[in-house]
Amino acid sequence: MIENLNKPFSDNENLSVLNKYVREWFVANFGELTPPQKFTFKLIHERESVLVTAPTGSGKTMSGFLSVISALFDYSIKGKLEDGVYCIYVSPLRSLNNDIYRNLLKPLDEIYDMIIKDKGLDIIKSNIKKVSVGVRTGDTTQQERRKQLLKPPNILITTPESLAIMINSKKFVEHLKSCEFIIIDEIHELASNKRGVHLSLTVERLTEIIGRNVARIGLGATIHPIEEAAKFLVGYENGEPRNCKIVDATWSKKLEVVAMSPVNDLIYVENAKIEDELYKQIDAVIKSNRATLIFTNTRSGTERVIFNLKKRFGYGEDIAAHHSSLSREARMDVEELLKKGSLKCAVTSTSLELGVDIGSIDNVVQLGSPKSVTRAIQRIGRAGHSYKAIAKGEVMALDRDDLVECSVMLDAAMKRHLDSFEIPKNSLDVLAQHIVGMAITDNWDVDKAYKLVTKAYPYSTLDRNDFMSLLDYLAGNYVGLESRNVYSKIVYNKEENKFGKRGGLSQLIYMLNLGTIPDEVTIGVFTTKNKWIGNIEEEFLTKLKPGDIFALGGRLYEFQYAKEMKCYVVEAKSNTPTIPPWFSEQLPLSYELANEIGKFRGSFSEIVERNMRKAADKLIPDEVRKFLDKLPMDENAKIATYGYFYEQLVFAGAVPNEKLILIENTIDIEEQVVKKGKIMSKHFIIFHSLFGRRINDALSRAFAIELSERLDSEVGILVSDNGFVLNVADLEISKSEIDRMIKDVSGMDITAMLKQNIRRTELMKRRFRHVASRGFMILRNYKGFKVGVGKQQINSQLLLNSVEEIDQNFPLLKETYREIFYDLMDLERAQKILSEIKEGKIKYKIIKTDVPSPFSHKMITFGYADVMMMDSKHLYLQRLHKSVMERIK
Amino acid sequence: MFINKNIELIDGTAMAYINDISAVVISDMHLGYEGTMAKSGIFMPQVNLKQIIKNLDAAMEKRKVEFLIIDGDIKNEFAGVGEAEFDELYKFAEFAKDKKMRLVLIKGNHDNFVERYKEQFKFDIHRQEAKIGNYLFFHGEDMPQKLESAKTLIMGHEHPAISIYSDVGKEERLRCFLYGKYKRKNLLVLPAISYFSNGTPVNTIPKGKLLSPIFKHVNIDEMHAIAIGYGSTMDFGKIKELKKLAKNNLHYQKIT
Repeated sequence: MIENLNKPFSDNENLSVLNKYVREWFVANFGELTPPQKFTFKLIHERESVLVTAPTGSGKTMSGFLSVISALFDYSIKGKLEDGVYCIYVSPLRSLNNDIYRNLLKPLDEIYDMIIKDKGLDIIKSNIKKVSVGVRTGDTTQQERRKQLLKPPNILITTPESLAIMINSKKFVEHLKSCEFIIIDEIHELASNKRGVHLSLTVERLTEIIGRNVARIGLGATIHPIEEAAKFLVGYENGEPRNCKIVDATWSKKLEVVAMSPVNDLIYVENAKIEDELYKQIDAVIKSNRATLIFTNTRSGTERVIFNLKKRFGYGEDIAAHHSSLSREARMDVEELLKKGSLKCAVTSTSLELGVDIGSIDNVVQLGSPKSVTRAIQRIGRAGHSYKAIAKGEVMALDRDDLVECSVMLDAAMKRHLDSFEIPKNSLDVLAQHIVGMAITDNWDVDKAYKLVTKAYPYSTLDRNDFMSLLDYLAGNYVGLESRNVYSKIVYNKEENKFGKRGGLSQLIYMLNLGTIPDEVTIGVFTTKNKWIGNIEEEFLTKLKPGDIFALGGRLYEFQYAKEMKCYVVEAKSNTPTIPPWFSEQLPLSYELANEIGKFRGSFSEIVERNMRKAADKLIPDEVRKFLDKLPMDENAKIATYGYFYEQLVFAGAVPNEKLILIENTIDIEEQVVKKGKIMSKHFIIFHSLFGRRINDALSRAFAIELSERLDSEVGILVSDNGFVLNVADLEISKSEIDRMIKDVSGMDITAMLKQNIRRTELMKRRFRHVASRGFMILRNYKGFKVGVGKQQINSQLLLNSVEEIDQNFPLLKETYREIFYDLMDLERAQKILSEIKEGKIKYKIIKTDVPSPFSHKMITFGYADVMMMDSKHLYLQRLHKSVMERIK
Repeated sequence: MFINKNIELIDGTAMAYINDISAVVISDMHLGYEGTMAKSGIFMPQVNLKQIIKNLDAAMEKRKVEFLIIDGDIKNEFAGVGEAEFDELYKFAEFAKDKKMRLVLIKGNHDNFVERYKEQFKFDIHRQEAKIGNYLFFHGEDMPQKLESAKTLIMGHEHPAISIYSDVGKEERLRCFLYGKYKRKNLLVLPAISYFSNGTPVNTIPKGKLLSPIFKHVNIDEMHAIAIGYGSTMDFGKIKELKKLAKNNLHYQKIT
């Protein structure tokens, strides 16, 4: 049973269960219990499984560890502490592991010293040992590993991948059988992706090896719905979640947040001026605080902010960047400096989001929307050194949609409306890895193995047929994969209903290829004279056609051709990039937040409309001001937001909201096509469907396929969080035609339609390669050779074709569709929205405009949204806006 | 479709049928490719040979085929004849025997060591080129030699394809035959029949990147691309036009 706890135990109840020395040490060092600790000391002592969510500085780590340490010293004092692992701690970050290791050494040393002082020579007589701790990750040396094999640490700190290897190591696994506690840290980071799914199976396999249920302790930042995270932590038994107590201390720290706009007019104020003001604001925040953490969302943004702060305000060694492209040493240096308190400010993309110990931060600045309420709270929760402090944060918006988004987001955060995460369910590629792993270690009865797998929450609804088809695939029973000596990785005996190890190689394959994070392909960019310029992502290359102009390292190049893994370019003559839509680095807006923004749009536009006539001078009318005053926004933000809604209402007569999709039939003022010697405009059909990109991705494809079939012509798509745009080169589409199209699509089951469409895309090819690699169909490392990702890539289309040839239900093919439809897109909600349109619960309104309305401007400039393109994006926006203003004056 | 009264490019396939010598000619089969890939850890289903046999079967239903000419690269590995290759060569030879076709192989750059199996598989192997009727078959890695009495030269090796970009920027790559003139003789370049070749887009890569030495003497721009795909075979016109198309014609122009 999953149980939410509200009533803490008394301090006495918590402390009295602890080992005497541990209690004394704790009281001497901390004095009082933090909110989560008021639950956990007692619960963990009683071997309950507990999920704790709390912000930074709330003693979360200690809340998980103290009762564990106490139990181990209890054993020690009784002379019963053996060489063996009693507690396994797993976190997704090696740097966090090293932190935890250092932070545990101190209490373990000090407590042992207290015992020595008290017992003197008795410690030898009574065999009172020190509780040991060790780290085992990919970085651990062979020598260290051998030592651990001889003398395993009592507390073992590791990563999900290393743990998965350990449970397959015949010798080391013996040491794990004494385990009584499993701690999973940063659970909010793991529960939402395949890495966590992989871990959930590892933990179930480990539990099976140990032979009894052990206490599972989950630690994490804010997460919603927390019950789902709890099920992820404890798993299922007999079709029900195992017992888990939830301690939600998310709100133990107060938030103080504001959405800011650098200027009150984000359109006409020159870009340079906006930047000036933005940096002045940042500088003021840094100067008025002891230590500030800035989140920029992208790596390039991080570098740009550091560069500007140094150039403009003379900062030097007192500010530093921290992002994933930096070397590990460089990142650790920054973390160290932060801990020592010698940095005024650290700028990070996302890499400091997780719980690495960075000492005390006063203030968090977020540049641009973090796209989810939960993420905003997680990041801002990094500020404030103790749970008693206030977490202060500023979110600075860079355009008007961003501004509305951030304001609504922070309002939701204050109201504690969180958005939800989803656990990938029944991922067949991850399961394939574990089946190989299971086969190596044992001979399995198929039913027993299936039952074990369904104990992991992400597989609790696994279809048995899918499990069987994986066995068939791995055993080489598929047509075309039947050369067993080459293709099979397990032996599967259908008559006896058993599977097991095939041969020496599968062990090696498992150990060397395990994991869920795919290798990404980088494409070298060369001049036609073969001079290397830089790298681009493969996904980007697939969007380029000869003649396209794109930016790299601050310069513009014209794409010529690609051969194998190289892309050839010449310096561009034009200075306008034709860079196609690209948002690989951007996070999608959560559905819940999109919905909140929709509601805000609805109620705010009503008020603006009511006060319209009074607004000739553009001063904010009283009623409007009263409404905005309730939101955490600064004055610039209020003026800019009001102006934005006012313009949209005057120009288009309608503001879309969560129950109203505005569909705008218009043209592109900039891009025109020369076809057969005639100049023609590109037509835009703009759907203001604010549901977030995951849903819009699915919706836009369905509408594009339908439109393309009706017109018998190609339809281009631009997808964003706020809606999507269909463009057709030279055909105008009538209102009634659009209406008919919507009626048709809203009555469809779009799954089959999308499947057909996705089949031929680069997206499918790329995702299939990831899935094939996780499912051991493409190995990254084989017989000691690294298989270049290039080689994997060249063949992935062909591999995909050939797999489709064997069976449309081939498990890895099925998984690729699942990943695209449910992890990348949100097909379920997209389908739901379509039926709500059909039932009239969501209305739509089709309008015709001469130029795109203000609310669509960001959607159609999305193609220019790369940070490098700030200037041209801004100019384009200005031109768009000007054409609107000319019409509403 | 027929490109002249004797040569038919069989619709939707990479096969040419030559009427006056009752021969099907194909090139670049790369048998054993899946096996080679599996050795490096990429486990592709074995579909290449199956597809080729399926296509040949269909072609033979309506045509009289005495010769099956393979214009080079029947197999894939350079270093020898691998286990998987032997296996597939064997199956392929059995298929030919069943159908009472004579196998003629022009050796390609991948075809090292095939002589070993010459007797066993009843291959008629030619090291450089072979003249049959009015046709000179050569792989293409080297220049053709005995041109005198041939009217048409037929080669493989290049794996030609064309790239077409749609209005919204998606690349569609189609394998193609190339048809043109060399020294006043017809020159036909065959696409790779291998399932696992998606071809080299000859209308987007520079001439210097082409593999075959003959393109130092033949202007590829003047050759016709006869593309295959979606079950049909169609003349897409000259490469020079397709080059323009890839670069300009469908490209949006900014007018500000």
